[in-house]
Amino acid sequence: MSLITPGAAGKTAAEVTRSQLTGGKRDTAGLVLLVLLLLCTLTTLLILGVLLQEVLVDAWPIMSERPGDFLTSTIGSDPATTGVWPGLYGSFIIGLGVLVLSVPLGVAAAIYLEDYARHDHKITQLILVNIRNLAGVPAVIYGVLGLTIFGTWLKGITGGSSVISAALTMAVLVLPVVIITSMEAIRAVPQGLREGGYGVGSSRWEVTRDHVIPYAAPGILTGVVLSIARALGEASPLIMLGAITGLLPETTLTGPFTALPMLIYNWSGRPDPVGGDIGWTNAAAAAGLTLLILVIFFNAAAIYLRNRFERTRLGV
Amino acid sequence: MKASTKRLFAGAIVASLVVAACGDDDEESTPETEAPAATEAPAATEPMTSEPMTTEPMTTDGEGGGGAGGETPELASGNVFVTGSSTVEPISIRVGELANELSGGELLVTVEGPGTGDGFQKFCAGEADISDASRPIREEEAQTCADNGIEFVELEVAIDGLSVITNPNNSAIECLDVPGLYALLGPESEGFGSWSDANDLAAEVGAVQSVPFPDAPLVVFGPGEESGTYDSFVEFAIADLSEERLGEDNDFTRADYSSSPNDNLIVEGIESADTSLGWVGYAFFQAEGDRLKGIAVDAGDGCVAPTAETIADGSYPFARSLYIYVSTTAAAENPAVASYVDLYLSDEGIAKVSDAGYVQIPEDRLAATRDAWAAR
Repeated sequence: MSLITPGAAGKTAAEVTRSQLTGGKRDTAGLVLLVLLLLCTLTTLLILGVLLQEVLVDAWPIMSERPGDFLTSTIGSDPATTGVWPGLYGSFIIGLGVLVLSVPLGVAAAIYLEDYARHDHKITQLILVNIRNLAGVPAVIYGVLGLTIFGTWLKGITGGSSVISAALTMAVLVLPVVIITSMEAIRAVPQGLREGGYGVGSSRWEVTRDHVIPYAAPGILTGVVLSIARALGEASPLIMLGAITGLLPETTLTGPFTALPMLIYNWSGRPDPVGGDIGWTNAAAAAGLTLLILVIFFNAAAIYLRNRFERTRLGV
Repeated sequence: MKASTKRLFAGAIVASLVVAACGDDDEESTPETEAPAATEAPAATEPMTSEPMTTEPMTTDGEGGGGAGGETPELASGNVFVTGSSTVEPISIRVGELANELSGGELLVTVEGPGTGDGFQKFCAGEADISDASRPIREEEAQTCADNGIEFVELEVAIDGLSVITNPNNSAIECLDVPGLYALLGPESEGFGSWSDANDLAAEVGAVQSVPFPDAPLVVFGPGEESGTYDSFVEFAIADLSEERLGEDNDFTRADYSSSPNDNLIVEGIESADTSLGWVGYAFFQAEGDRLKGIAVDAGDGCVAPTAETIADGSYPFARSLYIYVSTTAAAENPAVASYVDLYLSDEGIAKVSDAGYVQIPEDRLAATRDAWAAR
């Protein structure tokens, strides 16, 4: 406001015009809207804050006493000695699998559908409709699919109900989301950029590689962030695949597996032992905090990349 | 465009093969399960010899099968996979932890609890070494096992019993039958604040014991839904009638009662009101016996009070045996499976039954179980 040169009686030109149009009345509707929007924001933040506070308070007895031991021990029968290692291992491999599998596949599919395929073609239309629908299919259905395909048909390769099957299932689960967000990002690349490239004699692949992907990268990576958070948080496909929650002394790629959401779910329901200070609620909260940190770790990587691409794009 | 689509699919397949290749490398470490060399298990022997016998003495006069005594066995190294009932799971988990500890991390036991039926399905397909069960195996399940060449031995390891309890000052109620319990605690009893409120429903479902109920406040305490004792109670007292009257998926108790995962709080609640009603695991009732009054239960064969004798001889209706089914095929091939079961049935292993909140089987039945295992 202060940057604008004050007009007569210390009012800006905009204020003068506004008061003429509204007849000098205060803009009550605008004020109400402002307060409402602020309230909505604060409510959201409050819910998030309460959630975080709950998790932190419940997790504190374990995380302050034995954070290293909790992370490296295996699942046990006592909340005071139980550990989260098999779940951490499982969730890490699932996150890695999603990054390695669904990101290249999803981005490639998006580039093809957006820049190569003929949009008016019947088959392209059919594929697009299918991908949009797949993005809305409940996770349990993907669990059934994963159990049938990766857990049963490809048992020789995946080892049945293993962390590989879980990673593959999660990769398939988030693939439609990766494709759709990547397509949106690629669509937002200015047509002039592509035409400029073609104009100086670049081939289609060169334009895609040097201009479209770097320009669309921040948008694509936002999709990746969301996908990883979802893949790490889903429990229902893992229930279908048969994740272990009892005792799992050994973590292998093709053997029995578990993941953090399964442990959180199972531990929340276990009856507390009599007389102990630390209950299963604390263990579940500590596992929740571990999952939160793991998600932040994966997302930090994606966000770092996004910022780098954004800087490159702005030429900083 | 078709060619490009194909290229995409080819990419997907290549990607999955790459992952699979990584997995294969790892698989080389898994087959140690079958490694016959594991029998020697030199590292696993010392910890046990130094372990003193801490559990309560049990007569191991060696009658019947040799080596079926209570001493802690030497443990082979290797992997064991246990599936089956989630009720038995806590016992198997604790014995598994013990096995890991005593063998110095050589005997690795994986335990899951998808349920008795799912467990037998896996077990009879040869995908598990041991199946926990909260009921004996069904004929068709045994047939599947036989079809797949899986031979097994049934071992009774514990008793899951529960006691319906009230305040010792409550002299009006000595015995309740299953319809009576349904009328007082079932899903249709929600809102009943007095015992007499349940009289109409009790008459409708055919309760005969202690009816009509007195006009006295009905205060209910019990374990919450997360507890295995809750599930057992629903199965014993509620499930049959609720399915008959309300259809499937109505097998739960009334929701308006004070639930607690802590048995001590349930006992305090029962003590706090003269005409309270509730249920706890039998092991806990036994330990706190004088603070509570156990109500006899009639499941069609007259009133039976919960005592060690009636539980042991099977006449008390709200008790059932818990089993483990061991694949003798797997036990013969994999010494780790045999070691784990040896430990399960040793005094130290069977003591875990109490830790998990269940009742230990009487000595003669334990001896029978040990003999059955020795004679496999």
